[in-house]
Amino acid sequence: MNIDIQAITKRFGAYTALNSVDLRIGSGELVALLGPSGSGKTTLLRIIAGLETPDGGTVLFGGEDALQRHPRDRQVGFVFQHYALFRHMTVFDNVAFGLQVRPRSQRPAKSVIADRVNELLRLVQLDKLATRYPSQLSGGQRQRVALARALAIEPRVLLLDEPFGALDAKVRKELRRWLRHLHDAMGITSVFVTHDQEEALELADRVVVMSQGRIEQVGTPTEVYRQPATAFVYDFLGDANRIECRVEGGQVRLASQGQPLGGVSGQAGPAVVYVRPHDIELQPAGDDQATGTVRRVYEVGPLVRAEVDYAGTLLEVAVPADDRMPFRAGDRVRVVLRRGLVFPADRPDRPEPMALVPFRGGASGPVVQRL
Amino acid sequence: MALDAFFGPAAAPARPVRSEPRLVRGVLIGTALAFLAIFLVLPLAVVFAQAFAGGVQAWLDSLVEPDALAAIRLTLMAAAIAVPLNLVFGVAAAWCIARFEFRGKSLLTTLIDLPFSVSPVIAGLIYVLLFGLNGWLGPWLRDHDIQIVFALPGIVLATIFVTFPFVARELIPLMQEQGAEEEEAAIMLGASGWQTFRRVTLPKIRWGLLYGVLLCNARAMGEFGAVSVVSGHIRGETNTMPLHVEILYNEYNMVAAFAVASLLALLALVTLVVKSLLEWRYAGELAASRRH
Repeated sequence: MNIDIQAITKRFGAYTALNSVDLRIGSGELVALLGPSGSGKTTLLRIIAGLETPDGGTVLFGGEDALQRHPRDRQVGFVFQHYALFRHMTVFDNVAFGLQVRPRSQRPAKSVIADRVNELLRLVQLDKLATRYPSQLSGGQRQRVALARALAIEPRVLLLDEPFGALDAKVRKELRRWLRHLHDAMGITSVFVTHDQEEALELADRVVVMSQGRIEQVGTPTEVYRQPATAFVYDFLGDANRIECRVEGGQVRLASQGQPLGGVSGQAGPAVVYVRPHDIELQPAGDDQATGTVRRVYEVGPLVRAEVDYAGTLLEVAVPADDRMPFRAGDRVRVVLRRGLVFPADRPDRPEPMALVPFRGGASGPVVQRL
Repeated sequence: MALDAFFGPAAAPARPVRSEPRLVRGVLIGTALAFLAIFLVLPLAVVFAQAFAGGVQAWLDSLVEPDALAAIRLTLMAAAIAVPLNLVFGVAAAWCIARFEFRGKSLLTTLIDLPFSVSPVIAGLIYVLLFGLNGWLGPWLRDHDIQIVFALPGIVLATIFVTFPFVARELIPLMQEQGAEEEEAAIMLGASGWQTFRRVTLPKIRWGLLYGVLLCNARAMGEFGAVSVVSGHIRGETNTMPLHVEILYNEYNMVAAFAVASLLALLALVTLVVKSLLEWRYAGELAASRRH
């Protein structure tokens, strides 16, 4: 079942939650709606489900207008952020609910319902807990009950609102992998909302990055990470250093002091260059060659991080922990930006990669004197 | 050790930090108990002592006497009409306020509390002014031979007015706390509005609802002021139990007055016991739903 979203707009009073959003979701795809809170991702999900009504635009399910149908007739499986399990029903009854409330003419026989529920509980590995109540389950187990309940109605579309948001990191990772397997096995068109970029990149076939009621970029995890369309996407998909600069004669130069940072093919003008912490190299340097000062060094799991004062801009630098950080706070260092993305101020949607070597011309300075 | 020098040795505290000296505790607990005894337990004991002052037979006689029986019947009848109606109104109002955002919502919430803030006498007078012979609708009602004031309809109306907030007040915070996600889940699973209410909403609120109904019922049977104004005090016809008690008392018929009063008090006691049992049960359920 492919979903076609056209020009969806939603306002809450004066606040615009979604501003003319277009999105096509292919049949059998697993798509992530990724964005910070307030970006409109949950509102979009709830509009697809029918729990919110848009102020404008259309939603088509397989070419058919879904907005004309009551949510109960859309055959959409919805997994709520806090699961919304029926607290007064056992796990079995929760999963059976969707089948039991069908009109008498379409309702399967009791024994058929029982078989189907037991089959689903086996699928989510909860067949031994069928008689428990939701309050007697762990977060991960509740999540799986919620999923089994949503799957019981044989949905054409599966929607998940922050499916792993309320779980601890370890369970989250396990469930994520499990959900991916499940999706591959069942092939239901699925959309999930998340604010966790790692979750989106790991789980989804395609990622929809949203901000302030608009879609910033749609693409595969590799595309959005490697070729971010906007500064927002770059910033949201990972740690980023933001350095004010200007482009001049194929060179990117620091806005404040004019030091060359790298080469770029773009036109002259003010710009911002974004650099990932692991794309920055620190080199020992004497006072004459030094361009930065180490402020702080700390270790986080597999990485050693350093904060470096680079001509007034505080840079975050990360190196693998096994390359023992050879610097301490106070050391003077030479900062080399190995890779970056330049966003010209007048064309923020046309970023250009920054290379270590200047694009043309005989620029001098520390960048060309590579070690 | 350096810390010891700084903070002083870590002596084992003589008593938990938040407990008070023995004397303070004694005085506070004693005061509370004495207050309870004088204002609650003693009066209740007096009611029963007076009721049985003439022996069990006299107590029984004053209850089966026709006027008393009529009063009991009328009270039960008024409660049997008012409580179910307020149950429906209360659930509907709570549903409205807890589930939807609309203009005038705070006004509605205030209106629901109105019967609590208005004197019951005024509540009764409203109906006399509306439906009484000289009231706004009086002539029309007389022409159509409909008797509201000084009859059962008036008593029921006054009772409904006075007991309106109990169910709604009990349910609004409960439903607000529970949220609407489960109902949304039920709809996504294909349930109709009625199925959602019966299979999801009602079980969620049942203890709160029962609790509200009990309080509503206790008040409906015990209401004096508003009913007194609209009843007309016709013995054997429009006298409810509280009104009957007053009449007997004014006639210096102490044994009969206290016998009927003891029946009302007994009802209150039963309500309290059931309520405590429910609270105990309901607390567990609420805690469970919070864990959930």
